[in-house]
Amino acid sequence: MRSVLGSRPWLTLALIALVLAAMPFVIDDNYLLHILILFLIFAVFATGWNLTLGILGQKTLGHHAFFAIGAYTTALLSGTVGLSPWLTLWLGVLAAALAGGLIGIPILRIRSMPHVAIVTLAFAEIVKLLLANWKDVTRGELGLWGIPPFPAIEIGGTTIRFGAGQIAGSFALALLAFVAVHALVLWLLRGRFGLTMVAIRDSQLAAESLSIDLTRSKLAAFALSAAIVGLSGGLYAHYLQILTPTSTAGPEMLVTLLAMIILGGVGTFFGPIFGALVLTALTEYLREYGDLRMLIYGATVTLFVILLPRGVAGLLTRRGRPAAAGDEPATAPET
Amino acid sequence: MTGTLLAESLINGLITGAIYALVGAGVALIYGTMRVLNFAHGEMMMLGAYFAWMGVAVAGLPVLLAFALALIGVMIVAAVIQRAVVAPVLAREDWSFRVIAATIGLSVALQSAAQLIWGEKFNALPYFLDGVVQIGPMRLPWQRAAIPIVAFVALGLSALLLYRSRFGQMIRATAQDAEAAQAVGIPAGLVHTAVFALSAGLAAIAAIMLAPIMSVNPWMGLPYILKAFAVVILGGLGNFGGAIAAGLLLGLVESFGVMVTSSEWRDVISYGLLIAIIWVRPYGLFGGREAA
Repeated sequence: MRSVLGSRPWLTLALIALVLAAMPFVIDDNYLLHILILFLIFAVFATGWNLTLGILGQKTLGHHAFFAIGAYTTALLSGTVGLSPWLTLWLGVLAAALAGGLIGIPILRIRSMPHVAIVTLAFAEIVKLLLANWKDVTRGELGLWGIPPFPAIEIGGTTIRFGAGQIAGSFALALLAFVAVHALVLWLLRGRFGLTMVAIRDSQLAAESLSIDLTRSKLAAFALSAAIVGLSGGLYAHYLQILTPTSTAGPEMLVTLLAMIILGGVGTFFGPIFGALVLTALTEYLREYGDLRMLIYGATVTLFVILLPRGVAGLLTRRGRPAAAGDEPATAPET
Repeated sequence: MTGTLLAESLINGLITGAIYALVGAGVALIYGTMRVLNFAHGEMMMLGAYFAWMGVAVAGLPVLLAFALALIGVMIVAAVIQRAVVAPVLAREDWSFRVIAATIGLSVALQSAAQLIWGEKFNALPYFLDGVVQIGPMRLPWQRAAIPIVAFVALGLSALLLYRSRFGQMIRATAQDAEAAQAVGIPAGLVHTAVFALSAGLAAIAAIMLAPIMSVNPWMGLPYILKAFAVVILGGLGNFGGAIAAGLLLGLVESFGVMVTSSEWRDVISYGLLIAIIWVRPYGLFGGREAA
């Protein structure tokens, strides 16, 4: 578990949260804060996906579908139907969790990694096509715009507003979600749930022989992972207030998030957060060279896999102690 | 009326299916010999089409010479990719997912590089076959009618190579057990490189045949790679003959599916079919000898 969490995870998480919370008081530049908001949202996405990809060891490639499901559900229910975004956000999370459970069912029967990767990828493609083809409701690739922001709330006499132009409120909300999700995941990983997941990753057969219910554990992990990703989709929808099928469930989203997780370190708790920070910042920095963006993401993934397969986090944990044999998830051909 | 429509769907399905078979057979061959799922296979198509287009439309070479050069060019690129990206990853632990990630990254990087080199413009390779062929009541341009013919010649030659030649024996031995093959003197590393190049060659043939009726652009491999994966899963991962049969089947299912619904639902039909089949027959339609 130390190889996943590092040595003092609660302290590290608290420090990260403190530094981030200080940002609006230190940085006076709304544009930089906007980038940080995007980072917070993508960090939640990356952590959610990393639960199945890295920690459970199920190589799913379709989590951008849950992002789109969370985003579109809340956007349509609040914008078109007219419910409060504070409610529909959770309906989006619920929809993503149900979809996660649903796609988990055929995957339960498969232990071959390539099958899992292809099925989840095909699922994401179906979700993208449904969103693109269901033009009466989603407006297809024209995009769904004018999604309502979260309604303002009043705390102690100050009104906090949210949405694209409201940087302070949006930052506070994204930070709250970031801290809440990471605290929840950390708490779960420190307990029985985390041990179960790592046991399944290391050997499904051994885990089963220790009377771990593979079906229940995997489905629970899938649903939780999808729910977290769906939450990040909902936050994204109500922050940017515009969605298109390709920008949410397209291959670019897959590669972007994969690059974040791999750069940070697959299967580590803090790695994907770091990857999200580096790549979100890099994207904005390179905005004027827009065509280079995907070249850099693609090359990042390939080069890190070849040169630094355990990511930046792997560099840090390796120092000071020899890599224990159990660190490397043994994925000898599972048959 | 309906008879003509059925015949048209059948022929369209065969044409699409032949392309799926060419691309899918390459993916199956690579998976069968080294257990690698090559996500950059679609970009081998894209490069094949660009090389052919450069030869014909830019350099003004004779068509056949341009195609031969394009084919060789793609096979060299594939060999370099296998040596520089795939082989180093395979040498490590936990490679099965890493090689997927590495080829996904490569795929996107190649698309983006093509966009930087050749621009976003959709280029057209001119028709290189003239005339129409009359099949019953239908008139079909040779450019389309030739696709299944070329595909079956290419796949037939590959099958001969695989099952009737010394080199094919070496490939099959390496596929069964690379270390044991090496122990009896087969250069397994070279065989892997050759399989990568051969598979990319099949993809390049598909792309060259498609280029005049579609268009040449940086993302042209994208729709086909997912279809190729569907094909290899339906045919049983790593099963060369299964992939060809599944490719034709998928082409026909899509063609008749589009006849019933509309063309924007074509991909939903095939991916839905893929998930449904995995649900009931996890290891493909044709049994699972080589399947994981």
